[in-house]
Amino acid sequence: MRTIALTVNARPVTADVEPRLHLADFLRERLLLTGTHIGCEHGICGACTVVIDGEIARSCITYAVQCDGAEITTIEGFTEDPLMARLRAAFTVDHALQCGFCTPGMIIAARDLIRRKGSLDRQQIRQEMSGNLCRCTGYMGVVAAIGRVMAEAGDRPALPPATSTIGPAPGPGAVPAPQERRDAVGRAPAESAGERLRPDSQALLDDISEEGLITLADSFAVPHPPDRVWDVLSDLQTVAGCLPGARLTAQDGDRIAGEMRLKLGPMSPRFAGEGRIRRDDGTRRARIVGQARNGASASRARARIDYALVDSGDGGTRVEVEIGYALTGTLAQFSRGAIAIDLVRRLTATFATNLEAAIAGDADLRREEQEPQPLDAAGLLGAVVRARIEAWLRTLFGRGG
Amino acid sequence: MKPARFDYAAPGGLDEAAALLAATPDAKLIAGGQTLGPMLNLRLVQPALLVDITRIPDLIAVDEDDAWISYGACVTHAAIEDGRVPDVTNGILPRIARGIAYRAVRTRGTIGGSLAHADPAADWLTALTALGAEVTAYDGRSERRIAVRDLMTGVFETALGSDEILTAVHVPRLSGEARLGYYKICRKTGEFADAIGAVLRDPERRLVRGVAGATEAAPIVLDDLSGPDGTSVLDAHALRQDLRTHGLTEAYALQVHAVALERALAEALA
Repeated sequence: MRTIALTVNARPVTADVEPRLHLADFLRERLLLTGTHIGCEHGICGACTVVIDGEIARSCITYAVQCDGAEITTIEGFTEDPLMARLRAAFTVDHALQCGFCTPGMIIAARDLIRRKGSLDRQQIRQEMSGNLCRCTGYMGVVAAIGRVMAEAGDRPALPPATSTIGPAPGPGAVPAPQERRDAVGRAPAESAGERLRPDSQALLDDISEEGLITLADSFAVPHPPDRVWDVLSDLQTVAGCLPGARLTAQDGDRIAGEMRLKLGPMSPRFAGEGRIRRDDGTRRARIVGQARNGASASRARARIDYALVDSGDGGTRVEVEIGYALTGTLAQFSRGAIAIDLVRRLTATFATNLEAAIAGDADLRREEQEPQPLDAAGLLGAVVRARIEAWLRTLFGRGG
Repeated sequence: MKPARFDYAAPGGLDEAAALLAATPDAKLIAGGQTLGPMLNLRLVQPALLVDITRIPDLIAVDEDDAWISYGACVTHAAIEDGRVPDVTNGILPRIARGIAYRAVRTRGTIGGSLAHADPAADWLTALTALGAEVTAYDGRSERRIAVRDLMTGVFETALGSDEILTAVHVPRLSGEARLGYYKICRKTGEFADAIGAVLRDPERRLVRGVAGATEAAPIVLDDLSGPDGTSVLDAHALRQDLRTHGLTEAYALQVHAVALERALAEALA
């Protein structure tokens, strides 16, 4: 808990807050100012827009603790504001709301726009208001109402900025509340991997749904005969060791369980899951299917990996790999497709390099007891690996992706 | 949609912030929090400690000399948009700032935070690469400068060490003739771009530098977009060839980035 002292709608407030409490929840749950609405809760919809030290801001992605010393104005704080009174009247006349859910954020953003810009045409109003979503009106009434208030004001110039700081409010000048006590924050225990196989697991399906799978294909050459490569690939501990961040936690016949830790900038989700591997020694082809979940972000992944060894005729082997994967949940929501593709490509390229090393005996990649290292672009991509990836990407693109 | 628990500190100085970062495993810096906030709420990021650097006066300082203007890392997009900080780029920076997300995001989002986060679709990364900007990184003991074009190493990954703080962004003064062409292909105003084209033309320095941003990785820099005779610029075919050699060969990606660059180029030459 931390003590914060701030001003809300001209009223001084002191409160103890958990650092993770966002400003919208603080306003609604602690101060009962329920005019601030919560829509998407991750900074997209604009319903939670409030004013912090003269500037509009999203209260769902601003934490209350960051507002120590700040002045907050919510929709309830504009009762006496003459510009807001004109906007309210115009919103009524032009039917700028239906259900009203977006209206508190919409009208606060509109007031700020009129103060800053004076007069704008309809297209400009649409662009400037695009950070506030409305699912009822189609925006026609909203744009008309804002245009009406702008027209009423005539050619009145825009007002000077309502803030003095050039950083996020409240900034260095604000006086924070004195801290009386500070509790240590306990960390949630790390999610444990599936150490045991569940007999009735969904992952025991022979195949996974092909629906929505993104597929990538690659091949790479290994200067060793197919028999030798197939032997190495039959040891799943070695295979897992070649995949950065992966660990095999259980194996029972063709059924496998494992976990994988990814690193993507500040994110490092750990996926735990189960799957099945089918190998055909005759044709030297194999398929792994599986699914995994990351409890912390409520995300799920499913994937199939097919690989085949082809004798390249010169004593070497060509390893052909096709990966199909799908990601659902918050991680997928946040990551655009290209980012996931970039990650899978980097994983595949690193796997290829490590596999070559494992087959050549350069490195012992069996890491049963060790904590696996996640893929980390900054740490991992040394010059050699980077060159390998770039060459591989060129190969991939050369085929028309 | 509520973050996992984290502790919070708001140091008043850079050394204190650097010490906290070095001493705490899983500590994460937060400035405006306009990208980190959603990631925290979605529990994609679960730091032990958030170090809020917005109360450090050094990080909202602005300095100028003959060659550069230096913005503290915590200067907001809105402050640049409004001209509340000086500009040495003939209005280029305010224009870029105006196009970032939405006003209620620009009031808290910062120039340094955006660069350190290294989202490939971020405007500053592409625009400041085109302008030849640099950043300062500080680890509590020493400072070093990194060119923005060398900053991003992968999606969300940078050359910054885990104990380094990006403290300032240095933008070179442009000559009066210099202009930036900038074109973003977006499905909705303020959304992440599908492609960004940026072209800086500075006749005084005989420079026509193109940058293709919002790719799947770091921006692609085409240092010399001038044609073989030194006066005209590359034609459409040559531009696509150039992008292909930098790895952009998937048909849609090539088309959308080439078009963004062509439109930026046309604006820079107009």
